[in-house]
Amino acid sequence: MSRNPFVAADLPPVTLDVDVLVGRYADRPGPTGEPAAVTALLAANGIARAAVASLRAALFDVRSGNDEVAALAGPTVLPVGTLDLRDPLGAEREVVRLAGQGVRAVRLFPDEQHVEPDFPSVRHVARRAAEAGLVILAGGDVRRYWRPLRGATVIFLDTHFYHLGDFVVAARDEPGFHTSTRLLNSPDALETIAEHVGVERLLYGSRTPFYEAAVPRLRLARSALGPDAVAAVAGGNARRILGLTE
Amino acid sequence: MIIDVHAHWGPWFFSMEVGAVVTNLAVMDRYGIDLAVVSATEAVIYDPTTGNRAMARMLETTDRLLGYLTINPRRLDDAERDLRELLPTGRFVGVKIHTDYTGSPPSSPQTRAALELAAAHDLPALVHTWDRSPLDLAAAVADIPGLRAIAGHMGANGWRHAVEAANSVDRLWLEPCFSHTEAGRFAAVAAAVDPHRLLFGTDATLIDPAAAYGAVLAADLEPELAERVAWRNAADLFRLERA
Repeated sequence: MSRNPFVAADLPPVTLDVDVLVGRYADRPGPTGEPAAVTALLAANGIARAAVASLRAALFDVRSGNDEVAALAGPTVLPVGTLDLRDPLGAEREVVRLAGQGVRAVRLFPDEQHVEPDFPSVRHVARRAAEAGLVILAGGDVRRYWRPLRGATVIFLDTHFYHLGDFVVAARDEPGFHTSTRLLNSPDALETIAEHVGVERLLYGSRTPFYEAAVPRLRLARSALGPDAVAAVAGGNARRILGLTE
Repeated sequence: MIIDVHAHWGPWFFSMEVGAVVTNLAVMDRYGIDLAVVSATEAVIYDPTTGNRAMARMLETTDRLLGYLTINPRRLDDAERDLRELLPTGRFVGVKIHTDYTGSPPSSPQTRAALELAAAHDLPALVHTWDRSPLDLAAAVADIPGLRAIAGHMGANGWRHAVEAANSVDRLWLEPCFSHTEAGRFAAVAAAVDPHRLLFGTDATLIDPAAAYGAVLAADLEPELAERVAWRNAADLFRLERA
């Protein structure tokens, strides 16, 4: 009788995922990111709560996209604002509006918006967000975006283990630099970051619904981190950074 | 039982410490992987002559690893000598061709010649594929009698091309390892190709097996297909004796 050898009964619960999207990409196949489907995926993957941003805001219209995720606020969804780096003047206004709504974090999509790290917009928008007390969730290559984001509290969402060393040396000088675990899927990446800059810099991110949420959970489950550290990566660190007390 | 058909032994140039054979075995233990077929990173990235021989010595130390003899398509004379000298050890069960590190895409004349060499020795060839290159590998399989090839990474982002490639010939297998784990990728491939052509590969110890294992886990395969992916198809392809 056949048996599925691929099992994992040890996946840790995720109390706060820092990398979830609703909406769709127009330039690629994949899920349409309907909010109900996304929240169902979160539940199926043991993710109790997620910082959710809108692709509508990232790709088309900031204001209506941000309002879309604001309307989803609840026990499962922590709304994250999006700023459009192609429109730094509009981003100035949106920072004020989002901060006034009590939003705790904004997300930058430089790759999707075809923005380079040395564009004036990036440094300016990051400064305005930091001055407003907002945490920055940043896409893009950490080797290039560390520079304009210096001084801010940042969660780099695209840190690949190929670039782990660059993240570590940048984070040594920048206490506000943190990274998602999504692409830290080499055998010792989590352990290396914990050793060099501390486990408090690591935050679970899945990029549901576009990536397999099971992968970073599994990597975390089979890491050399202890139970308290795993719980911190799976949500405790994110709650601390975002100032959530509940 | 799980067999990893795409693994490496040796150090990498990134900020990671994964080069010791004890790391291979520890990483395999994390995921219940019983056996891995490895290539030497030195052979893949730099020099097959020294890398293949270092790995031959390493393979004497454990029965949980089998070897790919790495071929640089630009050094076929070296490859013929390595095959002649190292195959008698009985520890090499296939050949590895990395198309990027050698600047030799699957459609290049030198890689075609390397694949002919693999076929002449009746050895499966694990070939690094990316984007559209599984289609070029499938064309080589169609043209070279007896060649059995594995499309490493099943084309990575080009997995839809890998599906087309696997369905176009009868001697091309796919394995899923890729650090970017697009949702539904493995499930879509598993639903679209002959279940006998699916293998499990991780790219360890460059990539932690969590990436490939998690992708297969998420696909929630029926038990019979899961066993095929986990080891049965690999055992058949490499003609391994079943314990």
